[in-house]
Amino acid sequence: MQNHPSRPSDSEIIRRIIDGDVNSFEYLLNKYQDHVLRIVKKHIPYNEVEETAHNVFVRAYQALPGFKEQGSFKQWLSAITVRTCYDFWRKQYRSRELPMSDLSERHRDWLEKKMSSESDLSFSEESRAKEAGELLDWALSKLSAEDRMVIELVYLEGLSVKEASGLLGWSVSNVKVRSFRSRKKLKTLLTGVISP
Amino acid sequence: MKPLQRKYEALKKILREAYFEKEHAEVSEQWQVNAMRRIRNLGPVQLEPSFFTLFEQFVWRLTPATCLLIIIGAIIFLKLGFFPNYDVLTLFINDTEELSLAQLF
Repeated sequence: MQNHPSRPSDSEIIRRIIDGDVNSFEYLLNKYQDHVLRIVKKHIPYNEVEETAHNVFVRAYQALPGFKEQGSFKQWLSAITVRTCYDFWRKQYRSRELPMSDLSERHRDWLEKKMSSESDLSFSEESRAKEAGELLDWALSKLSAEDRMVIELVYLEGLSVKEASGLLGWSVSNVKVRSFRSRKKLKTLLTGVISP
Repeated sequence: MKPLQRKYEALKKILREAYFEKEHAEVSEQWQVNAMRRIRNLGPVQLEPSFFTLFEQFVWRLTPATCLLIIIGAIIFLKLGFFPNYDVLTLFINDTEELSLAQLF
């Protein structure tokens, strides 16, 4: 990707910020906010998205002097975003603020209908998106913070183990083992829901 | 494919779609302004790591050495037969006139 001649590069902006020009950070914020928000929205409950995204940019701002220009800024920021989301869940599990609700009859009925339906309509075209979201939240709430992150990145997002390990800052073997175990846990959970 | 496995695959698809559906949630228009306000409140970037950061790094680096020292110390005490409770009890038994519990009150 080529830089536009009139637009400063990320490294140039970072240099300005480190030199004391705080307002230059707004350029990075504008450029990467959609990317950061897209990641945060998928990992964090809706009512906590804004606060978590703020935390991501604050962490990135404070860590700017440590940014090595070996990789891209976007990649570096993605790792900070994923780790901030992981920290959010660790904090939630530690303070036990996580809602541990069970699946209601409404969800089970919906799932039963969904399973027996032969319709091939895409999900977004259907009116019952809320139930699917709640089912996903329920399944993920039964997992630990670590398992949740691995499931979301590898199983749902479709990232490779290496990519997920880079984002989380864990070793590849750790992610591989966790991915296997958490997938097994999720399968047990979901099989319990769909089996009669 | 077995019926249960087929159901599981279908459920997996539903969950993946629900996961990507979350991307479309909206944030308030004030979001960016508030984020930039927080950044401005922090002031210029600190180039020197704070005392707390340095202290934290230093403490963690010393952890293995501290654990090793504790283990070595415990082994030495066990080998030397140092039992403080036993020594205090011996003192009470052998020297009851000089030191008694009544003196403490």
